[in-house]
Amino acid sequence: MVPPQQDHDLVYNLRLSSVGPGCVTGSDVVHDLSGLDLTMKLHYLKAVYFFSSHAVEGLTIMNMKEAMFYLLNDYYITCGRIKRSESSGRPYIKCNDCGIRFVEGVCDETVDEWLETDDDSKRNLLVYHRAIGPELSFSPLVYLQVTQFKCGGISLGLSWAHILGDAFSVSNFINNWGQHMAMVNVNSSPALAPRSLTNTAKPEAPSEPLSAKQVNHVGDLWVLANNCKMETFSFNLTTQHLSNLQAKIGSVSAFDSICALLWRAIAKVREGFEPQIVTVCRKDPCHDDNNVLGNNQIIRTIKASFLVGESDLNKLATLIANDQGQVCDERNRIEAAVEKDNGSTDYIVYGSNLTFVNLENAGLYELELNGEKPKLAYYSIQGVGDEGAVLILPLPHGSAAENEGEPRYLVNLTLPEGQVFKLKAELKRAPLL
Amino acid sequence: MPHFSNSVKLKYVKLGYQYLVNHILTLTLIPVMAGVLIEVLRLGPAEIVNLWNSLHFDLVQILCSCFFIIFVATVYFMSKPRSIYLVDYACYKPPVTCRVPFATFMEHSRLNLSNNPKSVEFQMRILERSGLGEETCLPPAIHYIPPTPTMEAARGEAEIVIFSAMDSLFKKTGLKPKDIDILIVNCSLFSPTPSLSAMVINKYKLRSNIKSFNLSGMGCSAGLISIDLARDLLQVHPNSNAVVVSTEIITPNYYQGKERAMLLPNCLFRMGGAAILLSNRRSERRRAKYRLVHVVRTHKGADDKAYRCVFEEEDKEGNVGISLSKDLMAIAGEALKSNITTIGPLVLPASEQLLFLLTLIGRKIFNPKWKPYIPDFKQAFEHFCIHAGGRAVIDELQKNLQLSAEHVEASRMTLHRFGNTSSSSLWYEMSYIEAKGRMKKGDRVWQIAFGSGFKCNSAVWKCNRTIKTPKDGPWADCIHRYPVHIPEVVKL
Repeated sequence: MVPPQQDHDLVYNLRLSSVGPGCVTGSDVVHDLSGLDLTMKLHYLKAVYFFSSHAVEGLTIMNMKEAMFYLLNDYYITCGRIKRSESSGRPYIKCNDCGIRFVEGVCDETVDEWLETDDDSKRNLLVYHRAIGPELSFSPLVYLQVTQFKCGGISLGLSWAHILGDAFSVSNFINNWGQHMAMVNVNSSPALAPRSLTNTAKPEAPSEPLSAKQVNHVGDLWVLANNCKMETFSFNLTTQHLSNLQAKIGSVSAFDSICALLWRAIAKVREGFEPQIVTVCRKDPCHDDNNVLGNNQIIRTIKASFLVGESDLNKLATLIANDQGQVCDERNRIEAAVEKDNGSTDYIVYGSNLTFVNLENAGLYELELNGEKPKLAYYSIQGVGDEGAVLILPLPHGSAAENEGEPRYLVNLTLPEGQVFKLKAELKRAPLL
Repeated sequence: MPHFSNSVKLKYVKLGYQYLVNHILTLTLIPVMAGVLIEVLRLGPAEIVNLWNSLHFDLVQILCSCFFIIFVATVYFMSKPRSIYLVDYACYKPPVTCRVPFATFMEHSRLNLSNNPKSVEFQMRILERSGLGEETCLPPAIHYIPPTPTMEAARGEAEIVIFSAMDSLFKKTGLKPKDIDILIVNCSLFSPTPSLSAMVINKYKLRSNIKSFNLSGMGCSAGLISIDLARDLLQVHPNSNAVVVSTEIITPNYYQGKERAMLLPNCLFRMGGAAILLSNRRSERRRAKYRLVHVVRTHKGADDKAYRCVFEEEDKEGNVGISLSKDLMAIAGEALKSNITTIGPLVLPASEQLLFLLTLIGRKIFNPKWKPYIPDFKQAFEHFCIHAGGRAVIDELQKNLQLSAEHVEASRMTLHRFGNTSSSSLWYEMSYIEAKGRMKKGDRVWQIAFGSGFKCNSAVWKCNRTIKTPKDGPWADCIHRYPVHIPEVVKL
């Protein structure tokens, strides 16, 4: 059958505008970027939320923009632009109310049709993304794309510069927006908790951080240059898969066992160049406030002193699980390293080692429109280093008797192109795909 | 020290002179009455009775005299023009979703004019020195990159602005739509068919015998032209209400090209509108806020330079925009002088007029080199509303009329908070003065507006009752922050 003539792209009619704070932030308000923020400057978070037509009944683009105006009164930092300090060249954010970029688009598929054939490259059409630079002071830090589907459903595509905050901050941001949508007439909202700057206590020995790696200076165009082409793919883990895994690995959390499984599989694929050190990022339980914006996630490194590819899954999982709360929290070390030369060196975190990010308690499904949760919430990282990164996201599951085939987790991997095929084969043997 | 005491002496001399000339009638009447009283006392009561009896009154003479007096009184009252009252007015306050901070304006400008960095640079210079603040508003269609000025969007803006202002006016005055006898809408650059006045009549289901007018193309001074028209109509139609709607619709007129002379309006013009209720009904006498005293219109269109100084035309690429010529300020000054020459004798106290006359005679006869005497308009008015066309206009007028910073505060702050809202800016300025609690009974207000053509129009109002600080209105949420200091150049 000849497909109908497409005289436009899959997502078309893109209209750009800006949305800023409703109230004046004031003149000469600046937000300083900590060392930890600066290490994240080459990373961007992309989040996509899908909503059915029922969830957006009666809601217009104007409603969404209006709710955003009120939300941004508190999140005025996201509306600023990067400037460099005149004396040291260190970047900071000038809170000049310039705004986030709001993109409206149309798609001729229905939400269900899209989700059937969803993949990473297709999903990029739903998130309008531009890197920061080359003109720093005219580059928005946040882009929000609202795409309207044929069935009346929508997708929200958020592109977020990681210097502003981690994935938990992004989730809080979008959840707060959902609350504003529910009560557009309310002018006052809970004030943003002051950002807690990470304590720059000097570590015991001035050691280099293991989780952050220096890269070549990128100047004013904040794009990471990989040595090889990176590919992103994702797959679901069902209840069945989890119970199989649980049978093999003892009493560790689901996240730890998934990490162990993937670490071993990737080590097998990279025969000879096994990742001995991995970085694990998860939510800091001390920063449980829903209104904090910043890079507050715990960043730990885990070192394996044995060959990972041939190791026992149990041993690996225990290694990952037992490292909690120990001195391997790298944040102070990273901060100190960056402050040593006042932020003039460029770093990356995701992909400097194989990185695992746990988004289980990020509150991804707390966003509600018209009382309805999203059909799917999908996060990925743009700008991952050569070692790769894995995001583990929860999926909404029915509270009724869980059936075996129901997907519980979504695993999103970004790896060098050459390794993806081999990894898929490896995981099939597990059997996981 | 001698300088100070000299200036103090001069001040008292001036005050004495003003008091003498302005109250000359009273001052001459008092000695005359005193003289008569003394004469009467001197004559004694018997003499007065004799004087009275010697006058022969006969019936015809008495009747004729009575008729004569009644006739003169009737002619006087019939030919007196009706008093026109401004019952109340409402200004449109744009929602926060229309707000355009400097940074956003500049970023959009760079994206829209990406091939013309010099034009972007120019816009930035203008914006830095414009006197606008960070809360001015543009309509939704202009927020897109590039702007999407469709006719539907323009109508949408017109509906939002005009209907909001009118709803607000109805609420404030308790006016019923069917009680509107005259409707005048002025909007210079957007003139659809059916007209905006027809749009209002349709929305509010006004009467079929309403007298409606739609003024377009008359520039920023069209607001006062509408007031003048309403006044003339209210002279002819007794017991009537007139609603005047002044606005400017930005959506279809946003210049999309790169010529610098035409980019200037983009930086200054912002969303705004006002609805005013005028009446000649005697029942409104008590609650009306102001009474219209004079309207003076001056048109310099006969001069070619004045005619072309604000000109709508196509640029080389076919984009339509309004081109402002470099002699704009000089022409505005000339137009103002013309207007002042007409309005001066109507409003200035006798002392100022005498001085002006003497200096004029002196220059003509004795020495042409004498400096022309600029009458002190501060003696004729308590408040000044100068159309917030731009910082340069306000500076120029402040200099020419020798006004203090407080006199032009309403204009400067309106420019800062709302931008140049064209014909409605005068009403935002009045609203500012009221919000500051400065409007007292008997205060006289002078509204001056300039517009393309080139026109200079003035209106003089007298405050009818002391106005309490309003709880609603466009300044309600921000008046406590004003006045702000507006720097010469804002660092972007």
